[in-house]
Amino acid sequence: MQNRLVDVEKAVELINDGDSVTLSGVSMVRAPMGFVREIIKAGKKDLYLIDREPGMDFDILIAAKAVKKVRVAMLGFELFGLALNFRRAVENKEIEWLEDTCGAITNALRAGASGMPFVVVKGILGTDLVEIHEKEGTWKIINDPFTGEKILAVKAINPDVAVIHVQKADKYGNASIEGSRFEDVYKAKGAKKVIITAEEIVDTEYFMKYPERNTIPYFYVDAVVHMPKGAYPTACPNYYDPDYDEIRKYLAMCREGKVDEYIKEWIEKEV
Amino acid sequence: MHTADVMIKAMAMEIGNNDIFLHGLASPLPALAMHLAKLTHAPHMVYINVADALDPEPDSYKLCLSSADPRHALNTKAVIELLETFDLAAKGKLTGMFLGGAQIDSKGNINLTCIGDYYSPKVKLPGGAAAAYLTPIVKKLIIWTTNHSKRVFVEKLDFVTGLGYEEGKEKDVTVITNMAVFKVTKEGFVLKSIHPDVTVEEVIENMSFSPVVKDVETTPTPSKDELKLIEKLDPDGVRFSEFKK
Repeated sequence: MQNRLVDVEKAVELINDGDSVTLSGVSMVRAPMGFVREIIKAGKKDLYLIDREPGMDFDILIAAKAVKKVRVAMLGFELFGLALNFRRAVENKEIEWLEDTCGAITNALRAGASGMPFVVVKGILGTDLVEIHEKEGTWKIINDPFTGEKILAVKAINPDVAVIHVQKADKYGNASIEGSRFEDVYKAKGAKKVIITAEEIVDTEYFMKYPERNTIPYFYVDAVVHMPKGAYPTACPNYYDPDYDEIRKYLAMCREGKVDEYIKEWIEKEV
Repeated sequence: MHTADVMIKAMAMEIGNNDIFLHGLASPLPALAMHLAKLTHAPHMVYINVADALDPEPDSYKLCLSSADPRHALNTKAVIELLETFDLAAKGKLTGMFLGGAQIDSKGNINLTCIGDYYSPKVKLPGGAAAAYLTPIVKKLIIWTTNHSKRVFVEKLDFVTGLGYEEGKEKDVTVITNMAVFKVTKEGFVLKSIHPDVTVEEVIENMSFSPVVKDVETTPTPSKDELKLIEKLDPDGVRFSEFKK
């Protein structure tokens, strides 16, 4: 095991302009917001963001003009409303977008983690998404070689980089996601490079005592960053709940056309 | 009585004792309906939510603004990754799912993707989430909208994100709105019941296609005890936030 603990400025160098990037969490839970801020600070460009159901992490990266393309099953702020920067960027054709569906994108991430070129997925046939993805080259209707029935083949997803915020990690990269994992373990195992940000850096003894809590073992991981409150204002289970007021403030400023001001303050403030 | 509570009760009534149900993001009414069903007529129902939780304890549950809020996984019995729930669906074991619809057609197909053309949308909606995957493979599909209107009930969808009634398939399709409850069957888009203080005329006037109207009942409302349960699960009234003021 090598010491992978680095400063955030060093870790962000693992991301190249134009990379496909997936981020941990869902909606307002365990998004790697602290690292997102570093991506913006570093001025990364033309990223291809991929996730099942992200939220503020994707929207603010779009607002900061770091994004070329987005592939999601859903991107919004639930009861608070639409993701305004995502919406505007798509409607003004500033970014490309590919709508996915949860069952396909999660299976594609798992296939990526399994080393499989594609996965067959039930459902979906008959919806308009099929044509969009056949054009894109991400899905294809095939015949089940055993029964002859039509079924959808979904190409595996192996992102260039996965950034996963976890509760605990050691300096070697052994990482523990507590509570809901979503697809984060598959994202890490399928990505070409993995960056872990962690609320706490623990001694390796912690994993020796509780090996079942090691959800992403060290050999998958390229960099570990100690980042308390690294998911804020989204939640980090067992550490903090989502700060709905802060998320509302972000949306209010987006509505008033002051998102640049929000980002500037957010970068200067550091949590 | 608030329409939210009528809709929660109507949703709960679709859940059976041997069912496995999932709710997704932005789903305060389904989250409460699943609790209500489990606390009343369906104690053995399996409750899975988008916080990756299994059977969240009603005693410690408080409805939060994000459906994936970690507090919705408080005292869960297991972490059930969404992929595991999708595997259940692929095996035919996920009974039901709740989905919204920005547009709904007379087959119960839904659009959650965009208004206008996909490649140059007038409005980019949040997206279909699990709709395309789950709607063809669940046994019970419950579609809800708090905006019963011609804009939602359209003749033709701008984009087909999810499938409603499919001939020859064992799938029960229910549409629950702020005015009424429908079943989509081979007979068409059948008006089953109207909520108290709503007229059949109002229901029809606010749709771009005609539902089948035969024996229309009044939607049952929650009892006093059921209302207490709902209130206890959602003391902050998150369930009202989907409704226009």
